[in-house]
This record gives sequence, C-alpha cells and structure tokens, in this order.
Amino acid sequence: MKIALLGNPGAGKSLIFNQLTGLGVEVNRYPGSSITIESGSVCCQKEITELIDLPGIYSLDGNSEEEILVRQFLEAGKADIIVMVLDATRLERNLYLLTQVAEFPCRMIAVVNMIDAAERQGLTIDAEILSARLGIPVILTAASEGRGINRILPLAKESAQVSGLIIPYDIHIEAALKSLEKTLSTPRYRNLLALQGTGDDPTLTDAAAAIAQEIEQRHMMSVRQIIATNRHNFARQIASETIRQGDRKKTYDLDQILTRVIPGLPILCAILFLLLLSVFLIGSWMESWIVDLFNIYILNPFTALGLPPLEDKIGFSVLVALQAGFGIAFPFVFTFYIGLSLLEDTGYMTRAAFLADRAMHRLGLHGEAIIPMVIGFGCTVPAIMSLRILKTRREQTIAAFLITMVPCSARTVVIAGIVAAFVGIIWAFSIYLIIFVLLILTAIMLSRVTPGEQFGMIVEMSPLRQPKAGLVLAKSWLRIKEFLFIAMPLLIITSIALGLFQFFGLTTVFEKMVAPITVTLLGLPDYASTALVFGIFRKELAFETLAVLAGSANLGSVMTATQLYVFALVSVLFVPCISTIAVLYRQLGAKIALLISVYTVFLGIFIGAIINILIK
Amino acid sequence: MQHSLREDYLEAICFFMEKNGRFPRQEELAAALGRQADEVPAILADLINEGEVTMSPGGLVELTPHGKITGERIVKKHATLQCFLSEMLGMDQAAASSEACTLEHTVSDETIDRLGDYLKQPITNCPGRHRFGHPCVNTQFSLLDFNEGDELIVCGILGRSSAKRLLDLGVVPGQRVKIRRKLGSRSIVVEVKGCDVALSPEIAAAVSVERGP
Repeated sequence: MKIALLGNPGAGKSLIFNQLTGLGVEVNRYPGSSITIESGSVCCQKEITELIDLPGIYSLDGNSEEEILVRQFLEAGKADIIVMVLDATRLERNLYLLTQVAEFPCRMIAVVNMIDAAERQGLTIDAEILSARLGIPVILTAASEGRGINRILPLAKESAQVSGLIIPYDIHIEAALKSLEKTLSTPRYRNLLALQGTGDDPTLTDAAAAIAQEIEQRHMMSVRQIIATNRHNFARQIASETIRQGDRKKTYDLDQILTRVIPGLPILCAILFLLLLSVFLIGSWMESWIVDLFNIYILNPFTALGLPPLEDKIGFSVLVALQAGFGIAFPFVFTFYIGLSLLEDTGYMTRAAFLADRAMHRLGLHGEAIIPMVIGFGCTVPAIMSLRILKTRREQTIAAFLITMVPCSARTVVIAGIVAAFVGIIWAFSIYLIIFVLLILTAIMLSRVTPGEQFGMIVEMSPLRQPKAGLVLAKSWLRIKEFLFIAMPLLIITSIALGLFQFFGLTTVFEKMVAPITVTLLGLPDYASTALVFGIFRKELAFETLAVLAGSANLGSVMTATQLYVFALVSVLFVPCISTIAVLYRQLGAKIALLISVYTVFLGIFIGAIINILIK
Repeated sequence: MQHSLREDYLEAICFFMEKNGRFPRQEELAAALGRQADEVPAILADLINEGEVTMSPGGLVELTPHGKITGERIVKKHATLQCFLSEMLGMDQAAASSEACTLEHTVSDETIDRLGDYLKQPITNCPGRHRFGHPCVNTQFSLLDFNEGDELIVCGILGRSSAKRLLDLGVVPGQRVKIRRKLGSRSIVVEVKGCDVALSPEIAAAVSVERGP
C-alpha cells in the first residue's frame, strides 16, 4: 500500500514523515524532473506501507515543476491514500489546496498539524465540523511534540474516503463545466484544469479555451482569478465554521527587528559572515584529520603494495578521488549544509530574501535568488540545483553565471592555502573583492543581454520557529547524499583520466602547448597549467597539485608573490569544476553549460593577465 | 406623439450620423429602428412640425440644432446606463443594451449625470464595486500607494497573468490584506489570511487595492 503526504510548504510534512519512517529513507529522482522525492517503508498493522513525501506546493493547477509533478502523481493514481497535511495556524490558506485535492477522485484524510502552535495563539479547531464539511476524516496533531502522530496511518488505512467536495463556482464557470462534461464526458477536475489552460488532451483544452475566453471577456477577469477567488471564499467559509479565536497571548514579534533595513541588514550580513567563517574553520580542521587518516590507513598501505605501474596509477587515482571527495564533502559541504538547514528551518532565509530584494534587482534578479547564492558559498552543485525556485529562464541563466563565480568552500581553500598563507591576509581579501566586483559587472552585463521576462519575488515568510536538531541533521544528510551521488562518480572518472594522462607523459606535451598562455601571458611557471587543469576536477586540487609539481609545500620559496597571487586568482575564476559543469548541463542545458565554462576561462585568463601586467 | 417614440427616432439619427458620418435616408432610418418603412414618414412629419428635424433636398433626414441636443442626450443616457448595467451589475452586453433602451426615456438628466460621475470616479469606499473587475482597472491605487499598517481590500491583479502564486497565496479580489512592512526600496510584506507574504515592488504595483472599511 502506498500513502502520500501532501501539503503546503512548511506545514510540517517533513517532520511527520521523519517521525513515521525514522531511518531507512530512500531518495529518488522523479522521472523527467530534477526534484527528489523521499520515500520510506513503515510497518503498520502488520503490513508494509510505503510512505511518500511529496514536495510542498501551494496549488495544484500551477506550472512549476513541483506542481506539475504532484498533479501528475494524483492523476496517475500513484498513491492509494493521500494524507493532506494542514498547518493549523494557517488553516484557511491551507484549505485552499485541500479544496483542489478534494476534487480529484482519491481517498484521503486530513491532518491538522501544529495544533500546539495554534493553541498558543488561542485558536481552537473543531475537527468534527471540519470532517463533516470536507467529507473526510480529520485528526489534530502536533508533530513537534509527537502528539497524534501514531494515529495518522491507522486512520488513513481504515477510514480514508473520497471527499466528494463540491465547490460552488461562479455560474458561468459551472455552466462551462457542465457543457464540457456533457460534450466530452471528461471529469470535473480535468475540465477545471482545462479552463485554466492546463491539460494534455487537445480537444478538451481547445474547447475549454474558447469558453474561457468568453468568460474572461464577460467578467473582465481571468478564469484563474475567478476560480481562485471562488475556492478561497469557500475555504474561508469552512475555516470560519471550524475555527474559534480565543484570547491571543501577546508575543514579541521578532520581525520588528529582522525585516527592517536597520538592524535587519547588518544582522543578515553578520549571519552570513559567521556561517562562512565557521564552515571554514570547522572545515579546515576536519579536513586535515580526514586527509591524514586517509594517507596513513589507505594511501600509504596501497603504495606499499608495489603493484605494476599502470595498476598502481589507476588504483591510486581512484583512492585520491575518494580522499578528495570525502575531504571536501564532509568537512566543508556537510558543515555548510547544517548551517544552511538551520537558517532554513528557523525561517530566516525568507527574511534574507526580502531584505536582499533590492540589491538582487540591481543584478537583474530578485530576492529569492539570494538562497542559491548563499548555497553557492558552500558548494556550487547544490546551488545550481536549487535554481528551480526562480521562475523564469532569464533569472535562472543570470543566477547560474553568478553562482559559478561565487567562491565555494573548495575555492576558499585555494585562496586561504595559497594567498593567505604565502602572500598575506589582506591580499586574500582582495581576491574576494575582485570576484565581487567581477560578479556585479557580469550581472549588469547579463541583465542587459539575457532575453526573457523579469519576474519579481512572491515569497511566503515562514513563521520563525525553533529548529529541530533531528530534522536539521536528516535534511543535511539527504543533501550530502545527493551531493556525493553526483560528484563522486565524476571525481573518480576524471581522476583516472588525469592519472593516465600523467602516466603516458602527456602532461609535458600539454604544458608546452599552453605555455604561451601560462608563461608569457600570466607569468607563471609552465607546470602551473597542469595544476590549473587539475583544478577543473576539484578546485582545491589546483593548490595541492601545484605543491607536488613545484616539489615543495613551501610555495613561497619556489614562486614569487605575484605568481602565487595570479595563480590563485586564475584558478578561482577559471572554469567551474567538473561536477558543476555536469549539473549545469542537466539543469540548464548544454548551451548554457558551455557558455559559462568558456566565459569563466576567458575571464580567468584575462583578469590574471591584467593583474600580472599591473603588478609586474 | 409618444414621447419615447420621438426620442428613439432622434437617437437613431444621431447614432447613424456617428457611425456613417452622414444623415440617413428614410429607409435607412427605418432599418436602423427596426420598423416598417411606411410608418416612418408620418412620424417624421410630426418631428418636422416640432422643429427637431428637416428634410434635405437630397432626401436625407437632418437634425436641427435643437433636435441634435435632444438626440445626443439620449445617446449619452443609453451609453451610461448600458455601461452601468453590464460593468457594474454584470449583465450581458445585449441584455444591458435592450434594458437601457427602455430606461433611457424615463431617467432624469440629473440621475444620468450622477451615474456618469459615479462610474468615472476612482474607487473610494464601496466593497462589492469591484465584483466585475472593470472599474478597478481604471483606478490607480496599488499596494505601493499605501503605508505600513494600512488595512486594505484587494480589487484585482492587473496584467500579470503569471502572478499565479499571488492567487494561490490568497491575494484575490475581495480579500483583506494588511501592509506589515514597507522598505525604502518599496519591497513590501503584506499579511494575507494570517500569513506574511513578501513582494517585490513590481509585483506589489500590479495588485490594485482600496482602503478597507
């Protein structure tokens, strides 16, 4: 049996899902989309039940990837029972989605969650009236306290029902629905979607489009607006019958300080700075541990085996790739994810988006784009994946360019390891400054040339909540798993390829070939080009390879300060790493992936050459 | 002669003039009025006696200055009534037009003037006026025109068909909203159905609102 959880973002679905499934969660990429869906098995009443956590959505008839996915999921009847999770503190708005789901012919129950928060606000919700009005069983739960959670699955299995809710639409919409039903004998829910221009049956959508146009002319309002208004009014009706507002306790509204420019903006900057600083400090400390352990217990014993040279090279490459993957994934990316999940779960990220809206507009984006940008400081790969929250292709393209330029944690290692260590801390900050300026210039240029429509921010501010440690860890764990899943195979393959490249002595040929650029233009030693190429594979490898090729870990003694500075700058700007290119390709297509790669190569070399000439 | 019949004739001549740029012949007038051609001459004779119309040498029915004033007044009454019936009350255009045809003969000039002003003025304090959308389109008040703490009622969402998310979050005509925060950059937070929603200035500008009662 399959049971799916469905609800608005932030209604507490994930928490319920986590509490019901515990460990043993599977993450699957939904066919044909970049969205991952979590599912897990639960034993309930001596039967294995598969529980699916659908992505949080506001509506069923929109065209975002998530909405389409959930709609197709419902239409195909992929779940036996739908558990609709509602936020008790925002019941009226949550009922809007329920009115849509209830039109689909699926068995369902409603879970009114966060009843504890509602009680604190003095709200009482009458589950019986709600159940009678909706025609489905309703239970009240408080997932954060574990209240009522155990009753969800038994209730769903025993008494889930098809709601049969009939929403009274405007008379013209009703007439249109009836005539479509009569002429094409299609079900009501599909006719409703068709009137709003959604559906894959051309006879139905064409017929509906003609009627819709007539209705729109008569009402001077889009059919979507009419239908949404009818549904909201219906939801309000039900909510007013079921909710009683008692005495409301006065609580201090933190948004008084968080969403004002002063002190909101300084707080935002401080939070982001602290996040990056702590990731960097904790990360470098953990990384040295992992790298050392790997060297002592795996790499050294492997070299001691004394395999034939080719096998040795391949085996060594695989192990180095693993070391590299874990050396960056856990210390930096995982730490960053924990911080990020904390920020998300407290509800702070939506405030950040609001405050950053104006600055982001200058870059041709809007407030919501700050979320991928911040993620980009941790790792570019998940940042690109999170681009789908931006609604237009134009915004996604601009943001993709900018994100690949944001110094991720691996690039921070390069800057710290080369510039901060051998040239000076001030110079390290100057690299950030240069990147920042280039980023703004790129954005200004792109916002002029990128075709497409600009679309503003519409974000629901999540209520400020205390994050749950378990949920934060679970979320970070899922994300790191996804990261390893994408990055690891690529790391291993490229590592082997580069190992073979070196083995057959092709590196010297390559170094000679690109010497005009590296030596003449950038003023670097010839072996630096190999190090830069290794940087494509994994950014901070550029730094490690350089040390190996230079034959000394004390880079200051082999290269001049200018050379080190130029090398760090070029490798930071230069081509995104191979995992980034792969995810760009998957998310935005080959053209954008290629454009970004070429652009960054030229930018890196160009800026490197200018600095080289200026300082020399 | 019947008062309303006289006005119908004058209105029809005015209307024909507006449409074709010349006065009608007798048979054209009959067609415009939907009447038999043989009824027309008798009534025209009455109108000529009253000094409302003259017959030109070319056989055209021409309005005298006095007849023109009467005719244009009726045309205006018809248009105002039809606009009110269709756009404010949501009646079908054809039904509104035929209803206006009956009402235009009895309604006073003052009523029409006041109704015309009412249709033209921006929305002030009349919930339900926006039910059929159109009058709101003419108003210039968006969310950006109000300040923190103002309680408002949504009239409609202009232009952006892509602002579907707004509808999903409950920003629909008739919904009460409250401006919770407005920054110098004009990004705003509105409270809708107990939830705070952050909007970019260009989105907020597309939401037309009026002050709540």
